[in-house]
Amino acid sequence: MTVLRSKLDTGSEAYAENLAAMQTMWDEVAAALESVPAIGGQRYVDRHHKRGKMLVRERIEALIDPYTPFLELSPLAAWGTDDPVGAGVANGIGIVNGTEVAITGSDMTYKGGSANPATLDKGSRFNEIVTRNRLPLIGLTESAGADLTRQADIFVRGGGGFKRLTQLSKEGIPTISAVFGPSTAGGAYNPGMSEYTVFVEGRARAYLGGPPLVKMAIDEDVDEETLGGAEMHSRVSGLSDYLATDEMDALRMVRDIVGHLNWNKRGPGPSEMPDDPLYDPAELMGSASADVKVPFDVREILARTLDGSRFEEFKPLYGDKLVCGWGSICGFPVGILGNNGILFSEESNKGAQFIQLCNRTNTPLVFFQNITGFMVGTAAEQGGIIKNGAKLINAVSNSEVPHFVMMVGASYGAGNYGMSGRAYDPRFIFSWPNHRIAVMGPKQLAGVMEIIARSSAAAKGREIDEEELAGQSAFLEAAVEDQSTALFATGRVWDDGIIHPADTRVVLGMAISVAHGAEVKGATEFGTWRH
Amino acid sequence: MEKLLIANRGEIVVRIARTARRMGMDTVGVFAEPDSNALHVDSVDEAVALGGSTPAESYLRGDLIVDAARCAGADAIHPGYGFLAENADFAASVIAAGITWVGPTPEQISLLGDKVAAKEAAVAAGVPTAPVWPVAPGSIPADITFPALVKAAAGGGGRGMRVVESAAELFDAIDSASREAESAFGDGTVFVEPYITHSRHIEVQIMGDSHGNVIHLGERDCSVQRRNQKVIEESPAPKLDSELRRILLDGAISLARHVGYQNAGTVEFLVGADGFVNFLEVNTRLQVEHPVTEMVTGLDLVELQLRVAGGEELPLEQSDVRLTGHAVEVRVVAEDPARGWIPSSGEITAFEFPLELRVDSGVRSGSVISGDYDSLLAKAIAHGQSREQAIASLAKGLKSSVVGGVQTNVAATIAVLQEHDFASGSASISYLDDHPEVLQAGPDAPDRLRGFAAAVMVDQIRDRASDHQWGFVAAGWRNLRTQGQRSVWLDQSGTEWHAELITQRDGTLDLMVGSWPTPSDDGSMSPDGRIRLRLRLLGTDPAEGLTPRTIALEVDGLRTVHSVIVSARSDTESSIVIGSPFGQTTWLAKTRFEDHESAAVGAGPVSPLPGTVIAVHVGIGDQVIEGEALMVVEAMKMEHQILAATAATVTEVRFSTGDKVEAGDLLISLEARIDDSGQE
Repeated sequence: MTVLRSKLDTGSEAYAENLAAMQTMWDEVAAALESVPAIGGQRYVDRHHKRGKMLVRERIEALIDPYTPFLELSPLAAWGTDDPVGAGVANGIGIVNGTEVAITGSDMTYKGGSANPATLDKGSRFNEIVTRNRLPLIGLTESAGADLTRQADIFVRGGGGFKRLTQLSKEGIPTISAVFGPSTAGGAYNPGMSEYTVFVEGRARAYLGGPPLVKMAIDEDVDEETLGGAEMHSRVSGLSDYLATDEMDALRMVRDIVGHLNWNKRGPGPSEMPDDPLYDPAELMGSASADVKVPFDVREILARTLDGSRFEEFKPLYGDKLVCGWGSICGFPVGILGNNGILFSEESNKGAQFIQLCNRTNTPLVFFQNITGFMVGTAAEQGGIIKNGAKLINAVSNSEVPHFVMMVGASYGAGNYGMSGRAYDPRFIFSWPNHRIAVMGPKQLAGVMEIIARSSAAAKGREIDEEELAGQSAFLEAAVEDQSTALFATGRVWDDGIIHPADTRVVLGMAISVAHGAEVKGATEFGTWRH
Repeated sequence: MEKLLIANRGEIVVRIARTARRMGMDTVGVFAEPDSNALHVDSVDEAVALGGSTPAESYLRGDLIVDAARCAGADAIHPGYGFLAENADFAASVIAAGITWVGPTPEQISLLGDKVAAKEAAVAAGVPTAPVWPVAPGSIPADITFPALVKAAAGGGGRGMRVVESAAELFDAIDSASREAESAFGDGTVFVEPYITHSRHIEVQIMGDSHGNVIHLGERDCSVQRRNQKVIEESPAPKLDSELRRILLDGAISLARHVGYQNAGTVEFLVGADGFVNFLEVNTRLQVEHPVTEMVTGLDLVELQLRVAGGEELPLEQSDVRLTGHAVEVRVVAEDPARGWIPSSGEITAFEFPLELRVDSGVRSGSVISGDYDSLLAKAIAHGQSREQAIASLAKGLKSSVVGGVQTNVAATIAVLQEHDFASGSASISYLDDHPEVLQAGPDAPDRLRGFAAAVMVDQIRDRASDHQWGFVAAGWRNLRTQGQRSVWLDQSGTEWHAELITQRDGTLDLMVGSWPTPSDDGSMSPDGRIRLRLRLLGTDPAEGLTPRTIALEVDGLRTVHSVIVSARSDTESSIVIGSPFGQTTWLAKTRFEDHESAAVGAGPVSPLPGTVIAVHVGIGDQVIEGEALMVVEAMKMEHQILAATAATVTEVRFSTGDKVEAGDLLISLEARIDDSGQE
């Protein structure tokens, strides 16, 4: 297989500028990430510790195998919203007893671990990942239930979470719930709908209605332990399968449960040599253009991501703005699609063909998105850009091999769809800090609106207030710019997280490994092709 | 002579073969079954199986060796040292078979091998010799001055030897020395000579040919000995005044001339602090410590041996012998000096010495050390312009050596080289008795810290290598990090060590050692007063796999190499023994998860390693005090004292002497005792 030769000049001024700009953007992301574990405030963290309880991420650290990685998903969900950054829940994938598992746990330091609308968005995406990749699910449960002040935004759709728990079980995907504290009302259904439950003695409590509600409803005086304590559920109701002495004991029991699951992944697993790329992945910090309008060669990313920098390029002389080819990441064979410019008809046709080929060979696809859109203009339209673009979107939509998307620059317009954007169900989608996403570039969007305003005024015979129009355009451009950033996107769970560019290879490696939990099989049928 | 059979094993075979090959000779080795893939067998062109596994079945079988020489077509036999090297009958049988014997004549071996006869020859040759009191069977010699030494007439190596302080002890000493000599050498004849305390052992290297020429190659000081076995040797002897040196050298030459000595030999003397000289014996062979003489003379002693054995005249005269600089040799043995030099056996897992040392070795990584043979692993020799330089160079070299798998005396020898009395050149044969502290030399605090870093890294490497899902990701990788990889370890003394390891994106690792910050009563975190080490993994051997044999680490910019002597992992326990030239450090990882079942039966000390209980000092109901020894567990060739952490009452003794224990097994249940002051 051909080995990619990097042309990146790491001593150049452009590289230094890109590196500095990327570092600045990453620093902002890193600061946001750092704020998450104590988002509820130090006072609440201290109070939690003082009660002898572990924070949710401390529980995860103690649960997973020593020295193993942990990939947290949507860690910055709710960024830029009124809800807490991270949405008050830690979701991620780790290794427990040698098995890849999904772990979710509420952050008790923020409003007692109660759910907010962002929690649901984050949970909904997490559930897609758990289901599609067949990940055994471990819930570290401790929740005050719904944030009652937000109940209207939560109650109705929130019920879906419990439905999905039992559906996972039906699919043969194990669900384990370890209860560390009060799990009231809806929270009680977390253990209730799980296959295995572990209750911490003297701490875990589960009831549909707490003592005040019981008093209100049936005028019964009862204490919490009698009503829903761990002992009661272990000895009387049978809701608890395992009674743990303390938090660590509960985590030990969860590890033991995972140990007996006899879990086998359904994918074929890695088959290629997983040697390191020839070029240092750290150089990815300076390989992408700081300004998404300046193009860069996606092969520089591939040279720092693929095993041994090996890449067998498909149709290099045709539709060269879409780089397609085969390689492997951490031993997993993949087909790659990466943008080296705008999508023309040739690029669309090439991409559609490539996706079909990869489906024939059950080869997962990795998309490196840096796309400003499909070509416009008379020549493009007459050349059939719509029907050809439709072919690409048809192929992406109906492809059944796992898709992985790395947002390494722009993602504007229908290019987002053609490159398997969030709405096209990629198994995993991660962004670099320089990522920008919108229906079109902010400048173009403002310009388009300006042209429309001018023609509308002209039709009505009205004078244009140039100053006001310029102000409106600038405001719009700035607003779209703000709503296009990687942080804005990740805050809305449009991706599964922003990663450090140098981590691209290992994050993809972990993601592909997880996707091999389910069968890796390509589609044989697609929608009708418009030729 | 075209084909040389070397009738020995270990380093001396490798050494002799090197010269023989250089001289264009074919080489033949012999081997007992356990040595079938030994380094010495690989160092010769062909090797003949002797069969058997003990020396008596193999390397001491002169008949088999002569047959092997005939069978292989060897026309000369070099006996090396030990085994049959000073066996006159063997030498005679070699000569009778028409094969050249590389050594003195059988008559010379026979004469000088009898210590009493040798003393008589020495007196006749005018060599300074103390009076000898012969011991006739059933009688006790009179008029003996004490202290005195009872010695076997045959043999050597310290066997059949007794120091006697007073007349009262004499009978028993003669009796037991005689019995020992009888069983060791088949000859119970003993004699008595004056014992010179704090004397130095100085010996002269002589070399003769069959043409009547005899020269000396200077002297060696071999005073640092344990149980009459040499540990450190050097040439020339330090602080030896020229008059005394002249007496020794002249005496050696005179004795050699007197007997018409041929080939290499060593005339040994004891020299008292007052200058009193006593001739001891002549070793009629190449000595273990010959390299120091080679280093200062620039000569190849084996080459000289082969040439004179072939009938050539010595290629140089006495006036051609020039001594340059100073050479010091350390014998690296698989023994534990801290525990009375008990032999240590096992597989060598790592074996590396720096290139600047001359290292004559018969083992390599993978060699198995058994109790059947000599414990010598290697001789490390340094040469310098001055004695100080040679000592410094040797100490430096030994510090960067790596020997894994067995206990060695490296740490102790480094301590000797750096000790004042040795450095000043005043070591006597009582040196190690006078300086017991060097035998206890072990890792100091910075060594232990580096050993700990190596243990944590090995633990990490092993765990990452066994991750079949995400093994390609660095240890403890996080996209949202709240803490590093934490582990708690127990060292040999039962002290807890807390580690927190954080992998940086550039591949370096931060290791923080010490208690991690914990929440205090008001919930706030305690200040972080931990030691922070910046680590970089430079390499492991092998490069991949679960258990490296050696690990090269950069610790705060300093490269260190450690051997991994033990790396054991079970579901809940992890024990690692790290070796360094300063000794071994043992680390037992505590499980993250408490065993509530064992907590129910009691708390107490756990076994640090898988091993065997060799002593139990307490019984149920005993009141023990803090630090009291409760039990001894032998593991990894070391005795581990199991101590009481606090004053307590023994509620259960869970194992008895001889029982096998696993790492982490609760050994003894203790109930903390409240003393009168109300304190636990």
